[in-house]
Amino acid sequence: MTLDLISVAIGIIQTLVLVVLAPLLTGIMRKTKARTQKRIGSSILQPYYDMIKLMKKDEVVSESSSWIFRASPWINFVSVVAAACFVPVMIFYSPFGLAGDLLVVIGLFGLGRFFTLLAGLDVASSFGGLGSSREMMVSALIEPALFITVFALSLTLGGTNLSTMVESATHSTVLAPSIIFAAISLFIIILAETGRLPFDNPATHLELTMMHEATILEYSGKGLALVEWSQSIKQIVLFGLFVNLFVPFGISTAESFAILGIGLMFFVAKTAFLSIFIAFIETKVAKWRLFRVPDLISMAVASSIIGVIFFYLK
Amino acid sequence: MELSEYGLDIAAKFGEDVKTELINGNEIHIFADADNIIELCHFIHSNLGCRLLSVICNDERQISGMFVFRYVFGKESGEDVFFVATSSIDGKDICFPTLTRYIPSASLYEREIKDMFGLIPKGSSDQRPLLLHSWPEGNYPLRKDFDIKTKVQKSKDEYQFLKVAGDGVCEIPVGPVHAGIIEPGHFRFSTLGESIINLETRLFYTHKGVEKLAEQMPMEDVVLLSERIAGDESVANSTALCQAIEKIAKAKIPTKAAQTRTICAEMERIYNHLGTLAGLSTDAGFAFGAARLNILKEMMMNLNEKTSGSRLLFGVNRIGGVKIDLTDANKKMIISETESLGNEFYKVFEFLRKKSSFIDRLKNTGTITKEDAAGFGIVGVAARSVGIDVDTRKDHPYANYPSLHLDKHHDTPYHKMKYEVELQKRNGDALSRFVLRAEEIQNSIMLIHQTLRDLENEQPIWCDVGPLEPHLHALGYSESHRGQTMHWVMIGKNNSIYRYKIRTASFCNWKIIEQAVLNDIVADFPLVNKSLDLSYSGNDL
Repeated sequence: MTLDLISVAIGIIQTLVLVVLAPLLTGIMRKTKARTQKRIGSSILQPYYDMIKLMKKDEVVSESSSWIFRASPWINFVSVVAAACFVPVMIFYSPFGLAGDLLVVIGLFGLGRFFTLLAGLDVASSFGGLGSSREMMVSALIEPALFITVFALSLTLGGTNLSTMVESATHSTVLAPSIIFAAISLFIIILAETGRLPFDNPATHLELTMMHEATILEYSGKGLALVEWSQSIKQIVLFGLFVNLFVPFGISTAESFAILGIGLMFFVAKTAFLSIFIAFIETKVAKWRLFRVPDLISMAVASSIIGVIFFYLK
Repeated sequence: MELSEYGLDIAAKFGEDVKTELINGNEIHIFADADNIIELCHFIHSNLGCRLLSVICNDERQISGMFVFRYVFGKESGEDVFFVATSSIDGKDICFPTLTRYIPSASLYEREIKDMFGLIPKGSSDQRPLLLHSWPEGNYPLRKDFDIKTKVQKSKDEYQFLKVAGDGVCEIPVGPVHAGIIEPGHFRFSTLGESIINLETRLFYTHKGVEKLAEQMPMEDVVLLSERIAGDESVANSTALCQAIEKIAKAKIPTKAAQTRTICAEMERIYNHLGTLAGLSTDAGFAFGAARLNILKEMMMNLNEKTSGSRLLFGVNRIGGVKIDLTDANKKMIISETESLGNEFYKVFEFLRKKSSFIDRLKNTGTITKEDAAGFGIVGVAARSVGIDVDTRKDHPYANYPSLHLDKHHDTPYHKMKYEVELQKRNGDALSRFVLRAEEIQNSIMLIHQTLRDLENEQPIWCDVGPLEPHLHALGYSESHRGQTMHWVMIGKNNSIYRYKIRTASFCNWKIIEQAVLNDIVADFPLVNKSLDLSYSGNDL
């Protein structure tokens, strides 16, 4: 994998695909939820319309906020786009993968989240503080699960470099048990990280029950557009990681336009399927009690530990 | 009804100081002077086992030169009787004795009287303003010499909330403006992490002046006004008002009118309970259940429109009867639609009941203790959920309820016993309120069918209520989906209304939320709130 012109182009296209398609996934999930609730729902392009609308609007910024509040959407956006650079989309490697592996992706998400939480506290609204503390609770608990999952995955797939991991996932013919358990764990982690039910209800208007939404409650206009866009990019990156690591089927292995196109189509289809699946789960479950959420996370921890054990039992 | 027995009881205790009088069939009025009124109320409350239903203050300075206080008590089980302990203070006095020493739930009424009449409950510990926010002193809206067109200069808002101090205690002010389309109310949480250690509510941000407004209106218009006290309780409130006026006129409304009122009241109960259950599901983050229930609610509201011409059942009642004439076609439509709704609802309810993640949210959330419920004098589903068996339809039957078979609970000694055991088991959490509401929906459908079966077809739907004699008064009451609605009307000159006192179920029930959340975390507050189904509008009169 040398860093030639074509692979750089592919890397840029992959990143752009993630950044551009991200709101579409949110739209698909909302549409699915609406249909399961016997509603027609808004168009799957609605998140784009919302963002365009918000971009045109002025921002209202609390007087008691500092630079953190203004900078945080940008830091968040840049960190998730940077994370998107390292994720293989339609081809099994990401040319920028030389610069960062799975741990860097997690770290970048952590950076974005850290600033979102700071911004929630920064505006001195009681809901922001409430949201930040809840989000902190969940992220602190999810961390061990995440790292053991990464451990299980990198043991099985030979390293933490995403390109290597996806490549060996593509070549492996037998599904290792450690991978299955890591998948279960990562799935729960994705639900928590993207603020989905049963962790957090992204559709609620009740400030008192919010987690992620409460931290961004004070954003408006362009800031809000950026925050929501970052959130959906983070979502598509996580979904992309999930589908490419566990169901690499259809990912292109050669650098030709036709095969890349097919790879892209498979990627879109797979992530769309995953988001529809998650939307169905959200339909099936009520939001859990806040203090019952750790139970679910401990399930993720247990599952990932089992994954590691299975690797060594082999 | 052996009312003399109670009279004897009271006479034995208070001697010749108090006079009793029976009016309007079931109201025993007991007249005492300001010195022993509190003891009298205490006696009625504790010895006769009655609940305080309302405290009515009336500016009768033009009639007798006095401010008159009427403490309304109701007997909850057995006999259909109200006790109205009446006393008065001189028009120049500004103090009246407080009842809060014996009956804590009187506090709200006394604060209301302080705001509206400028009379001070002597000895009461809480004298903060209740209804009127940043209202200048010296303006007392319900006094007769206060002109309704008066424009007052708002003063500075100085309201003292309870301060909770300590390490790590955090205050979360919520409202009065909320997300979503709801009315204003301020909630001040004091929290320790997620746990709520104190909640204080402040309401009445949109005081509409309904009681004062009614005094300026022709009587027919007051019926329309009463429907708009709270849009979702239109039938309950207008029924209560019409019944009070009909009682004063001693008019016997046609059976068909009473039946129509019952049918509409039950239809109102169904659509509102469906809405509450849907809201509960939404607040638990279970949108699927909410969607299913909202479809049913919409079906019910469509049926309302087809029956009465209004989705919210406005324009059903008139003084002396009703305005809508149920035909055979209506009858068939209501029966078939409520039946299919009942079947569909049963399926949804069973589905929700088996949804563990949903039930887990409700179980042991927002628990009310029986002592608190009794102390605050709460009514309706909230009271029944802790095992206090109050239901105006049963305790003080009105409209067509006397001829209905309300439930199976009192059929045989076995049923009675079973019901007693069930009452004991109810622990007053959100789940028990959820289940109760669902049962009431099914029960309401049954009541509608029962009433429709006996519907008198060839009858007029209203009777004429002639001009009314001034200064007669009566209680009007009904059971809305939130609980007991208690109105009191005094007739003025030229067929006007001299005083219209409204007490809705929400007024009694709002304060209990402060107790209900104490064992919960902040994130569960919306669920507790929804499970109690409180109305802002029905409270901010």
